Amino acid sequence: MDRRKKREKTTVTKPSTVDAPLPPKISPSEAFIVTLSSVLGLGLAFYVANSGFSIDLVTDPSRTIFFIWLVELPIVILLYSRYRQNPRQCMCLVFVCHVQYLRAVGRGLLAVPIGALLNCLGAIALGAPVTFQFLPKTVNWSLMMSLFTTVPASCVLGSSWAHWKRIFAQTQPNGSVEYLICLPAHGAVIGGWFGAWPMPLDWERPWQEWPICVSYGAIGGYMVGLVASCVFVLARARSQHVKQT
Amino acid sequence: MKEREIEGAARRRKITGKWRYTWHLWVTLLLHIAAIVLFTRGFLLTRTELPHYSNSSDVSESQCLYSSSHNNTTTSSWTKPAVNRLIIIVLDALRFDFVAPSTFFPESKHWMDKLKVLKEVVSKSPTSAKIFKAIADPPTTSLQRLKGLTTGGLPTFVDVGNSFGAPAIVEDNFLNQLVQSGKKVVMMGDDTWTQLFPHHFERSYPYPSFNVKDLDTVDNGCIEHLFPSLYEDDWDVLISHFLGVDHAGHIFGVDSTQMTEKLEQYNSILEKVIEVLEKESGPGRLHENTLLVVMGDHGQTLNGDHGGGGAEEVETAIFAMSVKKPPSSVPVEYDTSSCQLDLDGKNVCVSSMQQLDFAVTMSALLGIPFPYGSIGQVNPELYALGAGSWNLDVSQQLSESDIWIQNYANILCINSWQVKRYIDAYSASSAVGFSSDDLSRVASVYAQAENHWLRSTKKLQLDKKDIDALVPALKKQIESYFNFLRTVAELARSKWTEFDLRMMGAGIAIMSISLMFQVLAILRANSQDGATLASSGYAWFFSASASAFFLLGMRAVSFLSNSFILEEGKVANFLLSTSGIVALRKSVVKGKLLKESVGFLLLSTFCRFGIEIGLSKQASTSAFMKEYTSWILNIASGLAVWNHAAEVVPILVLIILAFWLYKATSDIFFGWPRKIVVVCTILSYMLIIVHWITENNRYILAFMPESIGRIYIPRIVYAILLGQLLLLVFAQLFKGNSSDCKTNLVVKTTAMLSAWSSTVILLSGKQGPMVAFASIVGGYCIMRLCDIEDDAKNGPQRRLSIGPFPVMQWNLFATCLFFCSGHWCAFDGLHYGAAFIGFEEFMLVPQAIILTLDTYGFSIILPVFGLPFLVAMKYKADLGKHVLFTQLSQMYTTYGLITAIMTTFTIYCVTMHRRHLMVWGLFAPKFVFDVFGLLLTDVLICLASLYYFDQGKDGHNHN
Repeated sequence: MDRRKKREKTTVTKPSTVDAPLPPKISPSEAFIVTLSSVLGLGLAFYVANSGFSIDLVTDPSRTIFFIWLVELPIVILLYSRYRQNPRQCMCLVFVCHVQYLRAVGRGLLAVPIGALLNCLGAIALGAPVTFQFLPKTVNWSLMMSLFTTVPASCVLGSSWAHWKRIFAQTQPNGSVEYLICLPAHGAVIGGWFGAWPMPLDWERPWQEWPICVSYGAIGGYMVGLVASCVFVLARARSQHVKQT
Repeated sequence: MKEREIEGAARRRKITGKWRYTWHLWVTLLLHIAAIVLFTRGFLLTRTELPHYSNSSDVSESQCLYSSSHNNTTTSSWTKPAVNRLIIIVLDALRFDFVAPSTFFPESKHWMDKLKVLKEVVSKSPTSAKIFKAIADPPTTSLQRLKGLTTGGLPTFVDVGNSFGAPAIVEDNFLNQLVQSGKKVVMMGDDTWTQLFPHHFERSYPYPSFNVKDLDTVDNGCIEHLFPSLYEDDWDVLISHFLGVDHAGHIFGVDSTQMTEKLEQYNSILEKVIEVLEKESGPGRLHENTLLVVMGDHGQTLNGDHGGGGAEEVETAIFAMSVKKPPSSVPVEYDTSSCQLDLDGKNVCVSSMQQLDFAVTMSALLGIPFPYGSIGQVNPELYALGAGSWNLDVSQQLSESDIWIQNYANILCINSWQVKRYIDAYSASSAVGFSSDDLSRVASVYAQAENHWLRSTKKLQLDKKDIDALVPALKKQIESYFNFLRTVAELARSKWTEFDLRMMGAGIAIMSISLMFQVLAILRANSQDGATLASSGYAWFFSASASAFFLLGMRAVSFLSNSFILEEGKVANFLLSTSGIVALRKSVVKGKLLKESVGFLLLSTFCRFGIEIGLSKQASTSAFMKEYTSWILNIASGLAVWNHAAEVVPILVLIILAFWLYKATSDIFFGWPRKIVVVCTILSYMLIIVHWITENNRYILAFMPESIGRIYIPRIVYAILLGQLLLLVFAQLFKGNSSDCKTNLVVKTTAMLSAWSSTVILLSGKQGPMVAFASIVGGYCIMRLCDIEDDAKNGPQRRLSIGPFPVMQWNLFATCLFFCSGHWCAFDGLHYGAAFIGFEEFMLVPQAIILTLDTYGFSIILPVFGLPFLVAMKYKADLGKHVLFTQLSQMYTTYGLITAIMTTFTIYCVTMHRRHLMVWGLFAPKFVFDVFGLLLTDVLICLASLYYFDQGKDGHNHN
């Protein structure tokens, strides 16, 4: 219901950027930090799973993915919430700033189950198994995908339907933070889509099971997206720098 | 300037009426027929099974000296039995190098020299035991090989005359001849034998063969029954089929410890068997004159694959040992063996033979008539192992080997006569027989041999005087028979086992030409659009349809792998859902049609479950597919509520459909013939409901005999369909009253679909109404999503042509419906039960048509006839005939192109994988289904073009 209202509103006021101010621009170094910490988080999760519990994605996909999203959850939410919309008021009041930050974190936490549900439904529509033995794997995978796709957007954009539509339906990111949201999310989804293709092959490898190769594809796509968005931010900063001088 | 010229040309061509929109559809049909006929001639080797059987009295028709001429003439037999009992031990997928000593090969591998006992026996008594390298003929799959071994023929993929579904051999064969001659056969092991020969065995101990992971069940069963049977006297022929080596190869490969363990186990079994035979070999004992044959049905590659014609796959081994020692070994002229010292320094000789010759040689040894369709020759070396082949009650002036030669010549005479008889009968009765050139060549070779026989050899044998002239004459005779039999075998091989690559290449070339032609036709229609409508031509066409091309490309490329063909339903559904997600994205961007796109996505999710249920059926019926049940969904069944729901829900849905049809047609103005058609359809629906109710005994109505419900109602429904189609053709003759071309098209499409729907629903059974409902919902969603690209503000100048994306969705959805309705691309995926709805007995033509309607009803017939909806719903205003028909023809071409691209990739795939293990199990059925579907689609498109494109007077509206 709420969504629909939003949609009607945006269709009436066509220039969608008017009703919701743009998120702040971030410097290439910040983008680099976000990318690096996300990638390092993934690495850390794999390391913990591998050395601490001697499992990996193939032997115990459910728990490994659990580690991944557990490690990524604070990194993504805490980092992206810093780039929330309207941080201008921060200048005046530190207290407001904190409240806003906490609200962004809250939005991010709220987006985790919602995004997981959306991802899960998409995966089931595309053919993910629905039996009980796959339930923990599917749940963990959906939570991971949620962190890759919806959570950053939710932290930064809040519930602004116009921004969501522009980034996810039209793929028109505007500004450096939006690149950091848009490209990794698309990368993760497209990577996961391609990752599903080896599943029917008769190679009889353990990694062909749901959701192992899909997760590999999604993680790969996510990282590519992160790196690409970093490059974009850098390139944009360069060109603006040239313009200013 | 150029555009104006095109428009002018188009106006000039308007004289030709509707043909200008549809001629390319007919050209495409012709091109496809040519391509497919050529390719199929080269690829699908066919052979007709003859229903003739050899009889023991037949041999009197020949000019040969058969054995009865020496005894009383009442009970003639073809040959004199040379052995009394036969033990055949089949070791599945026995490579030649498992049996032959490793010194025969350039490199010694550790799976060699494991069956030591065979070598020892051969080196100890070379006259009574022999190892053969047996060359099998492709396809090297167990079923085809067993068929070949027993019939002595060359089974192909399509043996015409095959009974529907059941694999039992109907041709004359070795086992049939054994039973006819009163011999008793005992079988143990692989259950393929009991499928092939359901009534031939005195006793049988079959074990399931499909579980490839299980290395031991079949083998242990064999061992359990083999040794007690060896001490029994209630059988003449014993067959024991071990599967362990085949399974070990499939799972672990040849180079594995499991394989060597299996071979060592077999070695000990064979040791024991030979020990028992030798113990019982004394005069009057059980195995006084027994022949032991240890053989493979085919080889395997190092990965354990087989099916193709590679050297490793066709080379297998036959070991034969006669318990009773023959007095001498085969005359040197007929000895093909080559000898080597093995690792222990013993001399081991290995001969070579064709597996084709097995059936006839065994028949000759046992003294039974040769199978009618056998084209093999009696192998001299194997025949010489039979002790009885050496003594004949003719004059004893000849030496042992000369007697044998005389005996052998007589057998070859019968052999050649029998092969000639088969070739003549085959070419007389088969539609695609041998060419007359080949036949006359065979006939002349035979005449030559026969001449020589009648002129000299036979006389010399009967006279028994000129001994010196006899032996050279016999040798010459044998030579000429060899020549004849070789010629026949060569001819048969070229006809039944070799792909004609030139034909296949020509087919592929024509298919590619047709694809280019179709693309050109679409582009041409587009450029015409450019002239009349506001559009930006090619560039737009390619950019707007990138996603459609992507989906098409992914689906087409997926056909190149066997795994994706197996899971084709899931792949199609994956792509359908992807297209749904893409549509949802678009509708979010445009902010409209959100309901439809979400509905479509939900529908594709439902489809997905339908497909999984269908695939689980496939897995349970087909042993071959058992391996691939990886993602199968398990549904809790067996609840009583489900049973009731399964009966009531289809009826309710059908009532809803009838009501919906009534509502939908009452709004629009229909001409009276079409009104009747719709009313008839509703009547058909009611009849179907009655049919289903009477099917369940519980609800049977007392006043109605059962047969009315079961037989006559379906026939009435079929008759109504025919009547409706005739009525629609009849209605074509009248001009539609409404000048509105678009309404006219909608009315026609609705009438056509409603006419087909009743029969298709009836044939699909209880799931029919649900699938029909799903297809209506899906079709509606795709239709509505068509104009997602359009922006209302563009006004009259908006882009009018429909890109390929909706057509691609339409096609994917149709494919999903094929799998949803429980079909799959294999011959056991056909619903043979549907062919008997309304029929008690088997009638080929009507039931083939009904089976086609059932198989392709939802996936081809309804989608093709429903395609005009996509065009008709697109336009709010009536834009005139020209625009509408250009669009429609373009749409049909696109649909045809998509189907053709799929089929072309299937053709590439079978060409590439023609020597693949699964070519006959998977690729060839897929090929047959696709090709048939393509031709049906083309024909229906052409028929639809006749039906939908009429020469209305409103042709100039668009100006």
